[in-house]
Amino acid sequence: MNKFAAGWRIQRRVIGALMIRELTTRFGRENIGFLWVMVEPLLFAVLVGLIWRFMKGPEEHGVGIIAFIATGYIPLTFFRNAVTRSVRIFAANGSLMYHRQIKVLDFVLVRCLIEGIGAMMAFVVIAIALIALGEFPIPYDLGEVVAGWLLYWLFTLSLCLILAPLSEVSEVYEKLLPVTTYIMIPFSGAFTMQSWLTPAAGAFLYYSPFVHGMELIREGIFGPVIEARWDPTVPLAASMVLGLVGLALCRNIRRHLVVE
Amino acid sequence: MIYCEALTKSYPMGSGRKQVLKGIDLQIAPGEKIGLLGRNGAGKTTLIKLLGGVEMPTSGRVRRRMSVSWPLGFAGGFQGSLTGYDNARFIARIYGQEYRQIRDFVEDFSGLGRQLKMPVKTYSSGMRARLAFALSLAIEFDCYLIDEIIMVGDASFHQKSHEELFVKRADRALVLASHSPGLIREFCDRAIVIEQGLAHVYPDVDEALDVYSALCAA
Repeated sequence: MNKFAAGWRIQRRVIGALMIRELTTRFGRENIGFLWVMVEPLLFAVLVGLIWRFMKGPEEHGVGIIAFIATGYIPLTFFRNAVTRSVRIFAANGSLMYHRQIKVLDFVLVRCLIEGIGAMMAFVVIAIALIALGEFPIPYDLGEVVAGWLLYWLFTLSLCLILAPLSEVSEVYEKLLPVTTYIMIPFSGAFTMQSWLTPAAGAFLYYSPFVHGMELIREGIFGPVIEARWDPTVPLAASMVLGLVGLALCRNIRRHLVVE
Repeated sequence: MIYCEALTKSYPMGSGRKQVLKGIDLQIAPGEKIGLLGRNGAGKTTLIKLLGGVEMPTSGRVRRRMSVSWPLGFAGGFQGSLTGYDNARFIARIYGQEYRQIRDFVEDFSGLGRQLKMPVKTYSSGMRARLAFALSLAIEFDCYLIDEIIMVGDASFHQKSHEELFVKRADRALVLASHSPGLIREFCDRAIVIEQGLAHVYPDVDEALDVYSALCAA
């Protein structure tokens, strides 16, 4: 038990140190510093929301279109950033492998944490701003929003755990990544609800692990105005399987990692 | 103690693999000072990396029963885009030490002064060595792994390193990879010559140095 407590202390120390290091190297200490991490998702959500607003009018299926796009686009940018940032993460952090208490897993975890926290901050900021403008409802159930985010985050983390070691083995994955993240947009649930689609298409989307977190977030925001379908078993099972494969891959790649 | 058991290490080379270490068995006792000799490319750095856990052996294993420093060399251990102070902060955090103590030691030992506020990538190799040395001596280890680095720097830095490493930390173990016979003869209890991927241990340092100079002459 003591050993476990000591390990946990070291783990917390390492994650904290790596996060601070990552934030200082990426954003520096000038002007708004690490707050930059939320600027990108914020801009994406606002601008895409505005474009949709002018293309399709103020509402869709009875919910404000800007609010709907914002709730979908922020998790999506989080996913895309986390995935792109996990590419060749081990080689880039090679000099840190000199310290035995830092494990390759920590790099993936830290990037996902930073992107996730940035996206959630953007989410809160945009919600407050839009509520003030009357474009966003008062959230129906905050617990559901948080739970939805956690499901979405967990699945993204498990994907990154697989992508990070694979990208180290072959450059092919890196080349295929942009097109993959683009193609998966319809399957992410960012721009539609299952209940808005034909029954066949909706049933198909049910098997996409992203959709459940997404619909849970939306139910937490909009409440019964929309019909959300979610089941945590799908994303949890998918994360578990991918996560285990990812852990095995990370362990294997560490054995062969050549550090300068 | 550090135990190395049947360590091998190979790297991919073209379509095959280059076998660098072919089975090393070695024990390092607390307080022991070991010189590591070998020609360029013989595998000194590889062995030090395996001892420090920077890279994993292809087969065999390393068991560490005392705290072992990270390998001290020009590369590794710090981040080039961060300043000297930021690196000190990072080291303090991951090793759970008080930053102020680390900072004071690094300022005093490295003698880098205001340079510590600059990113490490702007440092000369001598300055990097000073910082690397300062950071690892700021953390107390039972065994220090040192790869050539001690040679850099001017006379006064040599004096300081000597004082910190061999006088104040005389009770610690040390693995020193070096080409300098003088250094190894002066400080090491025994020496290892790495040749053809195998480690030959010589309890008598002079004998090891003779073997090594014969190798270099051949």
